[in-house]
Amino acid sequence: MTADRSMVAGKQEGEKPELDPGPILEVDHLIMNYRTKDGYVSAVQDVSFTIGRGESLGLVGESGCGKTSIAMSLMRLLPDNAEIQAGKIVLDGDNLLELSDEEMRRRRWNDIAMIFQGAMNSWNPVYRVGDQIREAIDLHWEEKPTVAVANARIAELFELVGLDPAMMDRYPHEFSGGMKQRAVIAMALSCDPKIIIADEPTTALDVIVQEQVLEELRSIQHEFGMSIIYISHDIAVIAEITDHLGVMYAGKLVEHGLTEDVFARPRHPYAWLLLSSTPSVTGPRLNLNPLEGEPPDLLHPPTGCRFHPRCPFATDQCAAEEPPMEEIEPGHLVACWNYEQVPEMKAESA
Amino acid sequence: MVRYLTIRLLQMFVLFLVFLTILFFLINAQPGDISAQFVGNPDIPPEAKQILRERLGLDQPLFAQYLFYIRNVLTLNLGVSFDHYPRTVADILLTALPRTLYLFGIATLLSYIVGFQTGKMVAWRRGSAAETGTMVTSIILYTVFYPWFAILMLWFFGSQLNWFPLGKFLTPAQWFDAPYTANQVFNTMLLSMFLAGAGVALVVWGTGKFVAEPVPRTRARRILFALIAISMLAFWLISPMSRYAADIAYHTVLPVTTLTLVFYAAITLLTRSSMLETLREDYIFTARAKGVPEKVIRDRHAARNAMLPVTTSFVLAIAFIIGGGIVTESIFSWPGLGLTLLNAVNVEDLPVAMGALAFIGLLALFAHLVADVLYAFLDPRIRVQG
Repeated sequence: MTADRSMVAGKQEGEKPELDPGPILEVDHLIMNYRTKDGYVSAVQDVSFTIGRGESLGLVGESGCGKTSIAMSLMRLLPDNAEIQAGKIVLDGDNLLELSDEEMRRRRWNDIAMIFQGAMNSWNPVYRVGDQIREAIDLHWEEKPTVAVANARIAELFELVGLDPAMMDRYPHEFSGGMKQRAVIAMALSCDPKIIIADEPTTALDVIVQEQVLEELRSIQHEFGMSIIYISHDIAVIAEITDHLGVMYAGKLVEHGLTEDVFARPRHPYAWLLLSSTPSVTGPRLNLNPLEGEPPDLLHPPTGCRFHPRCPFATDQCAAEEPPMEEIEPGHLVACWNYEQVPEMKAESA
Repeated sequence: MVRYLTIRLLQMFVLFLVFLTILFFLINAQPGDISAQFVGNPDIPPEAKQILRERLGLDQPLFAQYLFYIRNVLTLNLGVSFDHYPRTVADILLTALPRTLYLFGIATLLSYIVGFQTGKMVAWRRGSAAETGTMVTSIILYTVFYPWFAILMLWFFGSQLNWFPLGKFLTPAQWFDAPYTANQVFNTMLLSMFLAGAGVALVVWGTGKFVAEPVPRTRARRILFALIAISMLAFWLISPMSRYAADIAYHTVLPVTTLTLVFYAAITLLTRSSMLETLREDYIFTARAKGVPEKVIRDRHAARNAMLPVTTSFVLAIAFIIGGGIVTESIFSWPGLGLTLLNAVNVEDLPVAMGALAFIGLLALFAHLVADVLYAFLDPRIRVQG
C-alpha cells in the first residue's frame, strides 16, 4: 500500500504486477474439518495450489465439495465449529493462519476481498449502498479520506462497473439483482485488494446479466492486474474467464492446470465425467456420460481415492491408497492412479 | 409524510368513532345502572331512584342516549360523572391520565433501553453463562403471574424490608401544610421530564444535522447532555417543591420497578431472538469480510436491524396498559386511569368508564401511529412517499 490512495485510482497506475514475480497466494496442504456431534467432517483435505499475480483460478466441483470452505479459509471467516488442522495460506509472503484476529481483520478487504454468493442479501437493508462502500474505505485506506474524496472514489467505481454514480445514495432495495451484484464488485474493488474471491458471482443472475457482469469482471481484472479466484459449479462460466482451473471432489483438489489444457484433455476421471456430462449447444450431438451415484458422506470419506466408488476406472489400488498429486505434463497436475486410462474428450468443449 | 399523516389521522378519527360505538353498546349491555347501588338502602325510595335515572337521562331509549353521547364527544364534552357528581369526566380523567402515563412511560422507557441492550449483548455472547443466567431470569419474569409478582414485590420490599411505601400516590401526613396541591407538584415534575426529554431529542437532532464528523459530534452531545442534567438537578435542588416531589417519586419506585422488570424480560427475550436472526443474515457476513470490527458489526449492523421487530412490540406493550394498568394500579393503589376505570365500572359510573376506555383507545391508536412513523424512520424499505 505504497501508492497514494486518496488519489483516485492512483495505485493501479503506479504498480506494475509484472515487476513483482512469485505467486500472490500460495495454499499449502490445507486441511480443514468441521466438528459435528457425529465426528469430524473432512471438508478440505490436503489442498495445495498457487495463484500468480494477475492470474485467475477457477475452482469447480459439485455442491459440498469444499469450494466455499476454501474461500472461507482464505478469508479466515469460518464458522466456529471449523478447524484448520494443518497447512499454510501464504498471501504475498505472510501466512494468514499465523496472524492475530486483529491483524487478519485489517487484511480483509484491504488485501483479500470477496464477491459473495448471495449478493441479493449481502447489503445491509437500512444503509445506503454508497455508505456501505464508504465504510470499507474508511476502515482500510491508510489515511481516512474525507467524505467528498471517498464519494468521488465510489462514483468512479460505480462508473467502472456500469452503474449510475447517483445510485450510491440509494438503498439496496432500490437496486435490481444485477445492480446489487455490480455494486458488490465495486465494493470489492474499493480498497484495491491483491486478490478477489468471487464465490458464485453470477449464480443468482439471469443469463444476459450474468454475461455482462462476467465481461466487466474480466475487463477489470485485466485493467488492474489483480488476481481472482472464481468459485462456481457452472463450468461454462469458469471456462470463459479463468486462466487456471482446479477441479475439486469431496474436499480434495483432483486436477489442476491451465483451463484450456484441462478442458481439452481432462485427465482425472471425475473431471472427465464432469466435462463430458456438460452438453454443448453449438457443438455436435454427443452421448453424454452420466456421473453415477452421490457425492460421498464426508463424515466417513471413502478410503484411498475419494472418487473410487463412483469411478468407472477404479482398481483395487484406488480403494487402498490415496493417489498423490502428480505433474503429468508441465503445469498440469492430477491425483489419479489410472489417469492414462481416461479417454480423450469426444469433441472440444471449451 | 404530511400527506401520509393527514390520511392516517382521518382514518384514526373514523376508527375512533367506530370504537366508541362498540364501546357504548357493550358497556350498556351490562345489566342495571347507577341506581342499582341503592337497591339495598331502605332510606332511598324507588321514586327517588326513578328521579335519579330521569335526571341522568337513563330512562331514554338506548339509541337516543347513544346519539346524545356521540354529539357530546364531538364537541369535546365527555359528560359528568354519576358517582362524583358534579365533577366532569374530563376533569377526573385529566387528573388520572398523566399519572398512568408517568408510571407506564418511565417503566416502558427504562425497560426498552435496558432490555434492548441486554438482549443485544446476550445474543452476541451466545452460549455464555451470562446468557443462560439472563435467559432463566427473563423467562421466569416473563411467565410469572403478574398480579402475584406485584404482590410479592409489595410484600417483600414494602412490608418485610420496609424500604418503600405500600402503594398510594403520596404520604398525606407530609402534605398537610403544603403550599402546593399534589397536581401542581406532579405537573411540574412531568413538565421538567418532558423538557429534559425534548432537550435530549433536540441535541441529538441538532448535532446530527450540524456536526458532520463523528468525534466532535459525540463530544458535543456529551457536553450538552451534561448541561441538561445539571440544569435539571439545579432546578430541583433549588425549588421549594422538591420535598413534595421527592415524596411522589418515592411512591413511584416500587410500581415502576415491578412494571419495568416484567417489561424488561419481554424486551430482552424479543431482542435476543431478533438479534440472533439478524446475526445469521448475509450482510453480517459481508461486514465481517469487509474487516469491520466486531463491536461495530454488533451495534451498527446487527442491532440496528434487530431493532425493527422490537419497535413493533412497542404497540403491543400499549395494549398491556389496559390490563396491566388495572392490575398494577389497584395493587399499588395508584390513582391512575386503570384504577379510575375499575372504580367506575364497579359503581356503574358509565360516563367515567366510557371516558377511561375511550382514552385508552386513543392511546392505542396513537401508539400505532408512533410505531408506524418510527418504523418508517428506521427502515428505508417502507419509508413512505409524499
